[in-house]
Amino acid sequence: MSNEPLNKSLSTDEDVIVIKDLNKWYGSFHVLKDINLSVKKGERIVVCGPSGSGKSTMIRCINRLEEFQRGSLIVNGVEMIEDVKNIEAIRREVGMVFQHFNLFPHLTILENLTLGPIWVQKKPKDEAEAIAMKYLERVKIPDQANKFPGQLSGGQQQRVAIARSLCMAPQIMLFDEPTSALDPEMIKEVLDVMVELAEEGMTMLCVTHEMGFAKKVADRVIFMDGGEIVEENTPHEFFDNPETDRLQLFLSQILQH
Amino acid sequence: MREFKPLPAQPAPIDEVGVIGWLKNNLFSTPLNSLVSILIIAFLASVLPALIDWLFISANWVGTSEAACKAEGAGDGACWVFVSAWMQQFIYGSYPDGELWRINTSLIALGAVIAAPYLLPNELRNSVGVPLFLVFPFIGAAFLDGRLFGLEYVSTDYWGGFSLNIFLAAASIIIAFPLSFLWALGRRSEMPFIKSVCIVLIEFFRGVPVLALFFMGSVMLPLFFPEGTNVDKLLRVWIVLILFMSGYMAEVFRGGFQAIPQGQYEAADSLGLSYWQKTLLIIFPQVIKISMPNILATFIMLFKNTTFLLIIGIFEILSTTQTALTNSNWLGGHAAEGYIFVALVFWCCCFGMSMISSNIEKKLDTSHRN
Repeated sequence: MSNEPLNKSLSTDEDVIVIKDLNKWYGSFHVLKDINLSVKKGERIVVCGPSGSGKSTMIRCINRLEEFQRGSLIVNGVEMIEDVKNIEAIRREVGMVFQHFNLFPHLTILENLTLGPIWVQKKPKDEAEAIAMKYLERVKIPDQANKFPGQLSGGQQQRVAIARSLCMAPQIMLFDEPTSALDPEMIKEVLDVMVELAEEGMTMLCVTHEMGFAKKVADRVIFMDGGEIVEENTPHEFFDNPETDRLQLFLSQILQH
Repeated sequence: MREFKPLPAQPAPIDEVGVIGWLKNNLFSTPLNSLVSILIIAFLASVLPALIDWLFISANWVGTSEAACKAEGAGDGACWVFVSAWMQQFIYGSYPDGELWRINTSLIALGAVIAAPYLLPNELRNSVGVPLFLVFPFIGAAFLDGRLFGLEYVSTDYWGGFSLNIFLAAASIIIAFPLSFLWALGRRSEMPFIKSVCIVLIEFFRGVPVLALFFMGSVMLPLFFPEGTNVDKLLRVWIVLILFMSGYMAEVFRGGFQAIPQGQYEAADSLGLSYWQKTLLIIFPQVIKISMPNILATFIMLFKNTTFLLIIGIFEILSTTQTALTNSNWLGGHAAEGYIFVALVFWCCCFGMSMISSNIEKKLDTSHRN
């Protein structure tokens, strides 16, 4: 299978992400093993699995925060190759939200949001600010625009981080455990924003343990373990009829409490 | 329902507040503490009166020559006349009398360039303030030299005094600042050639004593210039100071880089910022903030190191003082006054720099951590 020429990829017009036979090693440790995944435009995919299963690593490969050693990856029609311009082109189309928000602490909320539009998309400042305010309204914190990240709660910071990504008008949004670092009462406000985003048709790849969110919005749920995609199914089938015993065990452990 | 009424506040016990409270808590809180306090107070009581008398009360303040301190009825304290008589030399060196305004203008310009970030509106700060800063050393040097501006030519042999210490330190710091940042970036680079060049540069200039560098500068640097060109001694010193300073600052910056969480780089990357946008917009401001105390310490070290120049025959303030002390009209032993003056001048400047840097630190602090 790996001998097939790469141009015979699974890509169709609709596929915005095509991952084929992706392999990654950290030194001699094999983190990702033959990952195959294609994501259609507008599809919402939730990735779950135990820690160390490679799920974060996989989605971080999509915007090249992690490099991979073998396989191919096509994002929005652009093949990921070892080239700065190419990588920057892909990153402009892919937004990412991190577990620890990663807002820029020395800039105000508004400056955090306008940085990308002004410097990457070369938009004039007032246009960038108008876009920023639009998305701050959408995540329901326009009144915090001139504060610094350190003055906001975790939930507010994560909503700002989502707005910051949206300001770049990405085709695809990646979420890397967006609620794992939040206090329980703040998880909902972030999930609400994500649900809203999903309902608007954004293509989303989301690493999360929020099974309620998966049931509510996911088109497909993917279970990873040991660097492989173990199971992939619709939420209904995924939760009610897990095919592998590994997933059954995982579900029984996380749904117990 | 029972209504809750808070108890009225009562005054604190008398020995917890006010002068008595302060003395009790700070000087006499334990027997050992009391003993140390008493010993220190006794020491001060035995030393201070004589010192104050020598420094101020019996000191001679007015006059123009040593005779004023030797005259009948003159106090037997410090002879500050020595300092005031030599003041022009101490500050301006042998710069011609008629051209001193050029030094004064340059000093004021330096002050203005330093104050520019505070005075300029936000949007001009980077586009005007930074270039102004970077060209200042060159324009200032050309102005003091005079030829380029059609002014009287003053050879660097006549430059000297404390103004030279200030100019050399400022000019070196201004150039070393961006240079060392580049070295620090290079040291973190993934390109092996750039990385090893930067490591060699940093470790060399950090590992060799500054005095050795000065001597090497007078002997070795000319080898790198085209044959036949006579490179000014002061220019060579400037280059040495820049390189020495850069070696230290690069390591200060490296420490700052390491304190920036990986997530900041990833967030900048994921927005599609280029390497230089990421470095200058996201990383640099945070590195500066983290490194500010160490940057200042390096500044002060360099500023004080300019006194080493007396060894290679440049008439900065310390060597001017030594020259004054050996002057045949002032053989009365005024070393104490001279060195106290030098120490005071340096201390004032360094303290001023501390104030500026703590101000910048406050300005940069947006963490709002409590």
